[in-house]
Amino acid sequence: MADPAVDPGARSGPAPTGQGFGRVLVAIYGIFALAATSRSAVQLATKFSEAPLAYLLSAFAAVVYIVATISLARGDAASRRLATLAISIELVGVLIVGAASVLSPDVFRHPTVWTGFGSGYGLVPLALPFVGLWWLRHTR
Amino acid sequence: MTGSYSAVITVVSLLFAAWALICAASNRRPTLLLLAAGVLLEALLLGFVVEGVVQMAESAGQLARAEFVGYLLACLAIPPLAFYWGSGEKSRSGTLVIALAFLITPVMILRVQQVWEAGSGG
Repeated sequence: MADPAVDPGARSGPAPTGQGFGRVLVAIYGIFALAATSRSAVQLATKFSEAPLAYLLSAFAAVVYIVATISLARGDAASRRLATLAISIELVGVLIVGAASVLSPDVFRHPTVWTGFGSGYGLVPLALPFVGLWWLRHTR
Repeated sequence: MTGSYSAVITVVSLLFAAWALICAASNRRPTLLLLAAGVLLEALLLGFVVEGVVQMAESAGQLARAEFVGYLLACLAIPPLAFYWGSGEKSRSGTLVIALAFLITPVMILRVQQVWEAGSGG
């Protein structure tokens, strides 16, 4: 028998995005926020001139992951809108950068988290925005 | 950095991950026993980080020091963050968050070793 306190169907307002499965989702977003931030910090600090575009893209991805992590964890109405925006940008980013890196690999010799649709991270970066948008819909 | 100590941490972490995954699959919330496992792993990681910093101080190679230290600190940060975040959820999802931390730790150790080998030539 389902506990009414954790059953999203029993709520009148939107269910929190940072609870239940959302806990795990926020943790995964947090891992990517950490990974992308540390990677881009090293890239920007030590070899920015080698590939400014790729490294700025890394930094941008890091910011998107940080915003998505925090807004999913907070889960109020404004955070929900912010999360939807961030994850939509993430989806567009991974699709465009992924496609571009496959079509013209020369431009993307310096890897970012989204290169090859995130193949350096087990394609999780490709799946994550779909799961994130589904979860935002699911908890609405 | 690539010795048997890091292999021990990897195996221990993977065993804890398997255990946490079983706990999550059987619908259990995070327990004190799981927390004890996390504390043990954190203690092992502390030894790993000290070993890494000592070896870095002794090495004269082209090691990417900032990156190396960054990964070491990330290793240390992951279990406490996972327990802080996972314990707030009194359901299997909290346990799953902790399992994730145990799964990520071997990957982080692998990254530390890659940075080390790239910088010291083996």
